Amino acid sequence: MSSPAPIVWPSSRATGAGALQIVLLPGLLCDESVFAHQVEALRPYANAVVANLSEDDSITGMAERALALRDGPLVVIGHSMGARAALEMARLAPQRVARLVLMDTGAHPRREGEEVKRQALIDLADREGMAALAERWLPPMVHEDRVGDDALMAPLRAMVMRATPAQHARQIRALLNRPDARPLLPAIECPTLVMVGRQDRWSPLAQHEEIAAAIPDATLVVIEDSGHMAPVEQPRAVTDALLAWLGFPDAKDRPMDAPDRIPDIPLFDRQRQLKGYRLNKMAMGLAKPENRDAFRADEGAYLDRFGLTPEEKRAVMARDWREMVRLGGNVFFILKISAIDPARMTEIGAHQAGMDHDAFLRERLGKR
Amino acid sequence: MAKLIGGLGTSHVPSIAMAIDKGLRDTPDWKPFFDGYVPGQDWVRENRPDVAVVIFNDHGNSFFLDRVPTFAVGCAEEYRPADEGWGPRPIPPFKGAVDLSWHLIDTLVENRFDPMICQEIDVDHGIQVPMELFFGRPEAWPVRVVPIFVNVIQYPIPLPSRCYEMGRVLRRAIESFRGDERVVVIGTGGLSHQLQGARAGFVNPEADRAFLRDIAADPGRLAAMSREQYVETFGSEGAELMMWLVMRGAMNAEVEVRHSHYFVPASMTGAGMIVLENKPADAGRAAA
Repeated sequence: MSSPAPIVWPSSRATGAGALQIVLLPGLLCDESVFAHQVEALRPYANAVVANLSEDDSITGMAERALALRDGPLVVIGHSMGARAALEMARLAPQRVARLVLMDTGAHPRREGEEVKRQALIDLADREGMAALAERWLPPMVHEDRVGDDALMAPLRAMVMRATPAQHARQIRALLNRPDARPLLPAIECPTLVMVGRQDRWSPLAQHEEIAAAIPDATLVVIEDSGHMAPVEQPRAVTDALLAWLGFPDAKDRPMDAPDRIPDIPLFDRQRQLKGYRLNKMAMGLAKPENRDAFRADEGAYLDRFGLTPEEKRAVMARDWREMVRLGGNVFFILKISAIDPARMTEIGAHQAGMDHDAFLRERLGKR
Repeated sequence: MAKLIGGLGTSHVPSIAMAIDKGLRDTPDWKPFFDGYVPGQDWVRENRPDVAVVIFNDHGNSFFLDRVPTFAVGCAEEYRPADEGWGPRPIPPFKGAVDLSWHLIDTLVENRFDPMICQEIDVDHGIQVPMELFFGRPEAWPVRVVPIFVNVIQYPIPLPSRCYEMGRVLRRAIESFRGDERVVVIGTGGLSHQLQGARAGFVNPEADRAFLRDIAADPGRLAAMSREQYVETFGSEGAELMMWLVMRGAMNAEVEVRHSHYFVPASMTGAGMIVLENKPADAGRAAA
């Protein structure tokens, strides 16, 4: 899949001012839990927020609420009812919607007889409560092979039970009075990703083919082995498609300077250990006395034996601990350098924190 | 059959070893830390274990990144102290409990835990420090050991819940071993610390104290936490704490806290110790 031209944002920061802003809109009776996998994966690249659509009784109201969550240009990602609200955002504020993602949804207005079926579910929820509604409503939403899969269904049931009959009635009112979004589709100028589960029985693939055909710059992605709840049925496939289309590199290709998944914590993951392999191997070598002698005798020559890049060599020779860690060095390996050229652990820590040693001991470790 | 007489937990910070080596035990910086271990040493002396099953992680000393076992069990006759860069420390080698090691390996595999099997391996401060903290610095160690290595460095590291489950299997293994050994299981590592990145120096005494409380009273909560939650709560290296869950999983649901101690900071780490015994009323249950 090719991604659209890169977005030029005010800055590439993932958090704080100038960060790329992503708003996600969940479907009927859904909340932020359906996007958990995607939000986690987007964290290094963007400031992602999931809109709460539980209070609105119109699609326009939902769109306005989502637009008010953040300023400036947005990547808007909607699922099911949330995608209808995302389309409404594109109608209300086309200049703010820089990228649009529509998942398992439709653009058509209310269909004949739809009101009766929906009212039956409203009555069921009123009469027997949310557990009964979940029992009736959820199974057709997922791939038929997964209906008995408790690992998938239990969290979905719990989510439905977090909602109330009143919320359900409000959102159904919004859906029944939804605008016909079909005339809008040819006017959408931003790159758009249309995604659907191959086995979506609620909003089928054909419906998404029509939507993708009507939007000038649209890409269609089919998620295999998934029903309507694609973000939770196949979270990894949805996330991978999303990251690829947004032009965010896979973790293994991510630049070393990309922000950490958990801020300020350089987890020693695949990409880091690959990047730091030579550096760590060099340091591991110092567990042998003959290598320590070689290091002492001619440090540059010892480093060359391990094929260190000039950048890595510079960091080691300058005892630049922060830089060594940035380059993929892991403290347990590079610490062996301090056996030859003594440095205390707290000094190595202070250096990485960018603090004076005394201030580090005082402020971080609470000493005296 | 062998008998599980207790579960111990302790940090394994290398600076503790250095403090011992340099004779700093009674300096103002270290005395409060070491004094807190005296009740633990008394407990060990009174309860006379024959074997210590020690759960710890290697710190880039016995394993490089070329091969990283998620779980590994030692079954050697002897484990020598590793050279971590400063030369091997002047402590006696550890005698292995070879038969028990193999029995643990057999039982683990039969219960769908598939560890790497290590017949010749040096061991680093991850096991040395806990042994010194509980057994002092004898001419020869008064117990034989079974070292169990857990990868908590190279991602993906195992799930905390998996560590807890492995402890349950260890319990069954120990109590089905044909011998009359008295066995302690020692979970090591942590508590909160972060040695790398801009958040280096992070400690979380409040969460550490809650951990020391809940490892006894509510281990289910600690086992249900995600790896990310460990890292966020206890720091990137604080994720070592999940190794205490292996020890706790080997104990009864109900335990008695005989001793517990907390000191911060030992070098850059919140350091903790705990001594747990199974509640007698519950003694037969897990063995049944």
